[in-house]
Amino acid sequence: MNLKSMVTFLAVTYGLIGIMPLFVGDSVIIMRILTMILIWSIVASCWDVIMGFAGIFSFGQVAFFVIGAYSSAILSVSLNVPPVVAMLMAGMITAMVGVLVGLPCIKLAGPYIALVTFAFHMALKPFFSGPLGKAIGSGGSRGILSVPPIKIFGMAFSSAELVPFFYLALFLTLICSGVIVAILKSYWGTAFLALKDSEDFAVSLGISAFKYKLMVFGITSFITGLFGALYVHYVGILSIRVLSGQVFTTLMIMIVVGGIGQYPGVVLGAVFTVTAEQLLRPLGIYRFVIMGGLVVAVVLLLPDGITGLIRKLFPGRQEKESRSIETHKSSLEGVG
Amino acid sequence: MLIEIIDVSISGLLNGSVYALMAIGLALVYGVTKAFNFAYGSFYNMGGYFAWVLLISLGMKGGYYTVFFTAVPFLFIVGFILEKALVSPLRKRADWEMKVMMLTLGLGLFLDIGYIVVFGPRLKSLPEIVEGTTSIGELVFLNQDIVIFIISITGLLCFAWILNNTRVGMAVQAVAQNPAGAQIVGIPKDFIFAATFAISTVMVGLGGILLCQKNFVIPQASWPIMIKAWVITAFGGMGSIRGSLYAAFIIGMLEAFVGYTLGLIYIDIAILTLLLITLALRPQGLMGKE
Amino acid sequence: MLNVNNLNAFYGEFHVLKDVALSVEEGQVVVMLGPNGHGKSTLLKAICGLAGKVNGEVIYQGQNIKGMAAQKLVNMGITYIAENRELFPYMSVMDNLKLGAYSKNARAKEKENLEKVFSLFPRLVDRKKQVASTMSGGEARMLAIARGLMSNADFLCIDEPSLGLQPSLRLEVFKTIKEINRQGKTVLLVEQNIPQITELADKIYVLEEGQISFEGDKDEALSNDHLKEIFLGL
Repeated sequence: MNLKSMVTFLAVTYGLIGIMPLFVGDSVIIMRILTMILIWSIVASCWDVIMGFAGIFSFGQVAFFVIGAYSSAILSVSLNVPPVVAMLMAGMITAMVGVLVGLPCIKLAGPYIALVTFAFHMALKPFFSGPLGKAIGSGGSRGILSVPPIKIFGMAFSSAELVPFFYLALFLTLICSGVIVAILKSYWGTAFLALKDSEDFAVSLGISAFKYKLMVFGITSFITGLFGALYVHYVGILSIRVLSGQVFTTLMIMIVVGGIGQYPGVVLGAVFTVTAEQLLRPLGIYRFVIMGGLVVAVVLLLPDGITGLIRKLFPGRQEKESRSIETHKSSLEGVG
Repeated sequence: MLIEIIDVSISGLLNGSVYALMAIGLALVYGVTKAFNFAYGSFYNMGGYFAWVLLISLGMKGGYYTVFFTAVPFLFIVGFILEKALVSPLRKRADWEMKVMMLTLGLGLFLDIGYIVVFGPRLKSLPEIVEGTTSIGELVFLNQDIVIFIISITGLLCFAWILNNTRVGMAVQAVAQNPAGAQIVGIPKDFIFAATFAISTVMVGLGGILLCQKNFVIPQASWPIMIKAWVITAFGGMGSIRGSLYAAFIIGMLEAFVGYTLGLIYIDIAILTLLLITLALRPQGLMGKE
Repeated sequence: MLNVNNLNAFYGEFHVLKDVALSVEEGQVVVMLGPNGHGKSTLLKAICGLAGKVNGEVIYQGQNIKGMAAQKLVNMGITYIAENRELFPYMSVMDNLKLGAYSKNARAKEKENLEKVFSLFPRLVDRKKQVASTMSGGEARMLAIARGLMSNADFLCIDEPSLGLQPSLRLEVFKTIKEINRQGKTVLLVEQNIPQITELADKIYVLEEGQISFEGDKDEALSNDHLKEIFLGL
């Protein structure tokens, strides 16, 4: 997708979500869904940037989200850091962890990256619930029960006041979407596409795969951590349950449904998945049978998710797309 | 003190033998099909629940003999069908490796929660294969453990024999070493892909029966088992069967000794550390080929 | 024995083979010359069921075999011997040969063919236990041809047998192919530009940019100046 249609798409989608509270501001359930759509759409977008664009098989996205959440919660609860500062620090801590995990990972072959990042994810559970986690204030398996709301100029943002919090989340979502678009459409984004196409070719152009991949790991981890922090100040409680396979799969459904590497399709994926998850909630844990089946079905039947489906229905767009990639490539060869 | 060290070593060997059975199945399927199966742990539980249904729910006669004789074909067929229906169609796509990971992750969740839906969230206990203990000098063994060890090792030997002495086994090796070459000599590649997937399902499912009768059938066990099997194969060198064998026993021992000296909660951290150090020094794993 | 008509193959958007037609009679050695990347390998692979989807007609002994799976074709007696050898690198010479006889029809004659192969390539006898990946280029080529013969094929599609070999070894390979042909195998062989190849050929085709640009016997080829200069290097 070219820059213009990408920005238009995001503006329309988030714009529509943004005016929703004017009509449904009184409905607690719908406001909660809308807020969660905003938060997850960014977390899923970051994952899409890593997997779909940078071509790194990272399975550590939920782990980064959780690290951001725990960092901010611990900083604001145990050390009384003001939540806004804590959130930024959480972003930075997550970015640092992201780079640390990325360092040994990026040079590994695809499945190894998936494995190490996923093992990292799995190691967080015993870490936060064990004595080490307790020592830094994770609250063990009970978790942290009273995370303070975000306060800006004396105004509190939390789940108690859904509409203001929604607009705070929207504000951050728009900024971070801007950053993501900037990454994808800058020289970097072009480099990613080249790297994904042919790493050898890209390297021959002087693109350092390692440097770019590490940078994308760092930036997306920052954003993911920031939104993890936003999430924890929103819900007010935090436990290791966020690390469950269900959360992981829900996030994965978003990018599978949206289409991997089809940003901003993943935003639609988030809208769909969060809504579906809420609608299926009466089924309790059983809804994850449906969610799991959904992943299988979508991967098999819709190779590029909703985005691919839309393209199939309106084939005119596809040509534009491939042409824009071509111009990307030629501009890249010019640079090299 | 010496007795304790021997005791811990033996329990390490025991763990290692079952891990080897499960990890080698995974190494095989990765080496041959290059498919990264995230639903692997769910097949472990499939073995456990299969035994539970047969022994407790249906009360079949013949005990574990019936279980093993029916579980092998059952797991093989399930694995074969799943490969044909789910993994094989993806293979033609450019980014199929990533897609397979995601699909099997979804499949894993589907099965895991599916077990809870069907069998309920509570642990299921299976009857012990054999009861009682055997003592040699000061050492006391559970008969159950001896049986687990014997079945695992027999399973591994059967597997090695099939791989090296039968036509299908040779064909599997041929596809792993050179898929194009295998096709040239007329080996039906797609069938071999499905067959290896099925064999790996059998191996992990048998591991599941063996360990579940000792512990419990735990619906949440899938993920840790999957991770453990993957860590062992990655540590041994992805796709290297011999590497996985050594890695399984090394990790089995490490677990036993870390659990004994430092405590059980440090086991996972120790394993992860070992994996990271190994991969940092040898990105292709212990015995993997570049 | 083999007739190909209107064969078209695509590689993505790229039209690799355009309406290719050729025929091979039983007992012949037919040579297909042409520059690299002009579709020679694709043609052989298409005949042997290894090229994916192609359009057109491939008739082998009166039966249209287009689109059949490779394992079926091997069983029918068509074998592809790859330019890059495609051996099983971590297996012994013996295991490679045994796997060459994987198909049903070949299995029945495994012993007999093994003897034939060893008399054709006496050097392989001493190297039965050697691992394929440690062999030299020439030996690996011999092994690839030997493995192809193990399939009990009547029709051999040999892809650039001289690729990467020094001249003396090339001659040896060609001599062996001649001998194989004398023993009754039909050969369709692909090469780039080798002077000695005319010795071998009953019929010569030239494939340029996916199309057949020349067809004729040895004498016709030698009297064609363009061909002589470019592909035969005379």
